[in-house]
Amino acid sequence: MSSGLSEIFWYNQAGLPLLLLLQLLPLCGAAVVYVFNERRTAVTLGKIFALGELLLGIVVVSHINPLSPALQLAERYTPLAYHVAVDGLSMLFVLLTALLTFLMTLYGMSRGMISPGRLFAVLLLAETGLVGMLVTVNVAWFAAFSGLELWSVVYLLRRWASSRAEIHALARFVQYQAFGWVLFVAGCIVLGWGHAEATGGYWSFDLFDLVGAVPVGKFQTAAFYLLFYGLAVRTPLFPLHGWLPNMAQHGLIAVAPALMVGVKVGIYGMMRFVLPLTPAAVQYWQPYVVGFAMAGVFFTAALAFQQSNLRRLLAFAVVSHTSLLVIGLFSLHESGIQGAMLLAANFGLAVTGMWFIVGFVFRRTGTTELHELSGLFERIPFLAIAFLSFGLAIVGMPGTPGFDAAHLILEASIDTFGALSTVATALGNVAAAGFLLWAFQKAFLSQARVGGHDVDRTQIMEYLVCGIALAAMLAIGFFTEPWLYLTETASQAAAARFVR
Amino acid sequence: MNLPLLSLLIFLPLAGVVVLWLLPARATRPVVALNMLLTLALATTVLFAYDPAGARFQLVERLPWIASLNIHYLVAVDGISVLFLPATALLFLASLVACWNAVQDAPRLHYSLLLLLQSATVGIFCALDTALFFVFWEMSLVPIYFLLARWGVSSGSAQAAARYFLIMLAGGIPLLIAFVMLAASQPVPTFDLTVLLGVPLPRSTQTAIFLLCLLGFGIKVPLVPLHTWLPQFALAAPGSLTALLVGLKLGAFGLIRFAIPLAPEAALDLHWLLAGLGTVAILYGAVGMLAQSNLRVGLAYASICHVGLAVLGLASYTAQAAQGAVSLLLSFSVATGGAFVLLEFLRQRTGSTDINALGGAAKTMPLLATGFLICGLAGVGMPGTSSFPGEFMLIIAALQSHTGAGMAALFGLSIAAGGFLSLYRKAFFGPVTRPAVAEASDLRPREWIVLVALILMIVGIGVYPGPWIEIVRPAAEAWAAGLGR
Repeated sequence: MSSGLSEIFWYNQAGLPLLLLLQLLPLCGAAVVYVFNERRTAVTLGKIFALGELLLGIVVVSHINPLSPALQLAERYTPLAYHVAVDGLSMLFVLLTALLTFLMTLYGMSRGMISPGRLFAVLLLAETGLVGMLVTVNVAWFAAFSGLELWSVVYLLRRWASSRAEIHALARFVQYQAFGWVLFVAGCIVLGWGHAEATGGYWSFDLFDLVGAVPVGKFQTAAFYLLFYGLAVRTPLFPLHGWLPNMAQHGLIAVAPALMVGVKVGIYGMMRFVLPLTPAAVQYWQPYVVGFAMAGVFFTAALAFQQSNLRRLLAFAVVSHTSLLVIGLFSLHESGIQGAMLLAANFGLAVTGMWFIVGFVFRRTGTTELHELSGLFERIPFLAIAFLSFGLAIVGMPGTPGFDAAHLILEASIDTFGALSTVATALGNVAAAGFLLWAFQKAFLSQARVGGHDVDRTQIMEYLVCGIALAAMLAIGFFTEPWLYLTETASQAAAARFVR
Repeated sequence: MNLPLLSLLIFLPLAGVVVLWLLPARATRPVVALNMLLTLALATTVLFAYDPAGARFQLVERLPWIASLNIHYLVAVDGISVLFLPATALLFLASLVACWNAVQDAPRLHYSLLLLLQSATVGIFCALDTALFFVFWEMSLVPIYFLLARWGVSSGSAQAAARYFLIMLAGGIPLLIAFVMLAASQPVPTFDLTVLLGVPLPRSTQTAIFLLCLLGFGIKVPLVPLHTWLPQFALAAPGSLTALLVGLKLGAFGLIRFAIPLAPEAALDLHWLLAGLGTVAILYGAVGMLAQSNLRVGLAYASICHVGLAVLGLASYTAQAAQGAVSLLLSFSVATGGAFVLLEFLRQRTGSTDINALGGAAKTMPLLATGFLICGLAGVGMPGTSSFPGEFMLIIAALQSHTGAGMAALFGLSIAAGGFLSLYRKAFFGPVTRPAVAEASDLRPREWIVLVALILMIVGIGVYPGPWIEIVRPAAEAWAAGLGR
């Protein structure tokens, strides 16, 4: 089954073009908040828009039929090549994006950042970019939205930068991301060109067109490499992760990393575009990709152990677990793809939660150096327990969404790569548990030093941010069924292109 | 009676946690005590509701949990697990008494974790769905990690906690892989133990599953050479926590419940492996015990030795061995658990459980010394104590099936008995030289009430073992029949 894509238009499923609303709402929000500038209303409105987007996302989920393999709620507007459609997998990520943005608006308040109005406007703009990437089925639109989102993050990093190190981190970030973006765009052009060759001069970047005329031979390999590495920089996948640790250490503490790695659009893009558009190349290069990812799990885990800064450590944790997602995805097995997507959402939620807590700690102590932190448990036990719980979610502890997802990946991995490599991969998780526990003990459990920082108690807003994230995580962890239901058929459809 | 007794038992401690945080902090200990007493009462009710002559699995509750993966919330008890429930409840109660005054710092959190651990432990004994079992299995790690890292008694406790957690997490991997392989081997993937038991698997799959399970459970048992976490743990943890961890033989239970019945042919083929590991554990534990000067570590080695006997006996795959193993494990829950609780009493009084810091402790603490002696003798299988029937059945089974190993086991057990008495003599007899020992007071009322309860069980079951063993017998016979014996 090479093509096999089908779609259901929005007017068959809902009374309104919901996906358009989904993209316009945060965009309008950004504009409104921008107009209100630094007035108090801007902050309130920002929160309302973020919450509205979350509720709208839930409405959209209620309108799609997860049992249909088709892409749904489709909207087309040919003159602009505008074409959007979603399935269960995209909606999983849309909901995550909306939830994280909402939490970030709460977080931004509690951290007392300067000019919150502007911050919220950029945040909503970044959300527009993310949602746009998730709902579009056109590679060019994907690239454009990706550019919008990257620009927002760059603006965030620049506007709130206050030291040379931050500017340096920003420069590194821009270099990497621009490079990755250009690679992706080049991949799009190869695809569009291939389509033009095949159809006699008709250029298209639409997934539905491209999937019928995938490039052959070397062109497909080229397209695969350009798209894959373009997204790998974004993901970030070892060994293209160089921008993340610096940005994590010197950039805005929670907001920027959460926007970049909280929602794994890189992994999503691979699933949505790379797998269907370059199937032969994917199958040919599968062992190499998986080999690199396996090396990445351990190499970055080893690097994480070397870190003395909590923020850098988390950055390496992200790279390490992202490799695990790629292993799941490139098992090309329905459970593996489903597991990778669920795990990506779980990681996003958990790691963002951890980043929030690091931000709260930084506000109190002014540092995230592990050797300067001590005895935080005594003062902020709730945040400490939340930190550990998020860490356990990353490790795939039962009761968190990570468990069922890791379970699915293991199943796929045993099937595809055999038991030994599966055990090796799973041990990567233990390594992650190792450095996360180590950091936890250093920062939270160790004996408080005399003359250390005077640490405030947990505030209500902090309870709220971590409480919501934690509650969402545990609820999904113990009631995984709806999420499995939401993603199952879509994962089968994604895996159906590959013969096993 | 149609109450979901087992679910009540599993969720009662969790309800206790909620109540704990709703009430003011000073109500903490009474609430926990009440909760644990209720759990004990409920566990006893389960025991009475269980009919040994009835179906294999009773009090079954089955609810769909994750339907698309065919994972159920499936709990039930059989003769193998039913007695562990009151033993668990009793041990947690004893542990609570042991840390009654010792936890001054964040007591609500401490007791919440203890209740969480109780819930997970009960869940482990009741779960018949392998995925559900695994959830409870891993869930028990978090409270243990926290209890040790935050309330440990030595400077290395955070390190010991992290080590325990990581080793157990690594041990979970082979288990999870085995369970996933089992599920995938069925025409319709399932995690339901009752279904899995009925469908024979190809020999090679069985071997893989048996070895993976042996590895996963062996770490928890612990079998030599997977035992390295235990001595460090025993040294770093307060006795109240070690009592739970060493007293509840979850690893051996896992072997009996999952590893052997799920891969019967592989288990029969690899009987030499199981017997060998058991024998090595007996000898290693006994010799290791001789080298210790700290009573807590000494007891940890003794427990390695005794679980080794259960494993060796199991390798004969007879109903008698299974019956013996279950009753021995239960007896150790009470005896070893009780001994660790008493050591915690001792540590709170003298600040140490090292024999070099003790000496003559029986003079100032006669009740404690007597209690420890009785628990310790039960630990070495003295006739008249609750361990004797089980130990006897196991040794007979071992001598019949693996004569050489059985002889070695007898030898190892005598060394262990000697080792225990030697440690006991140095710590409790002789002149009092340390001021801490001289000033120590004997057991308080709430402490000796617990002690008397434990001793009554040890001696009562030892003198009149019939009813208890009979509860286990039908299930043990069904277990052996499943192996074709």
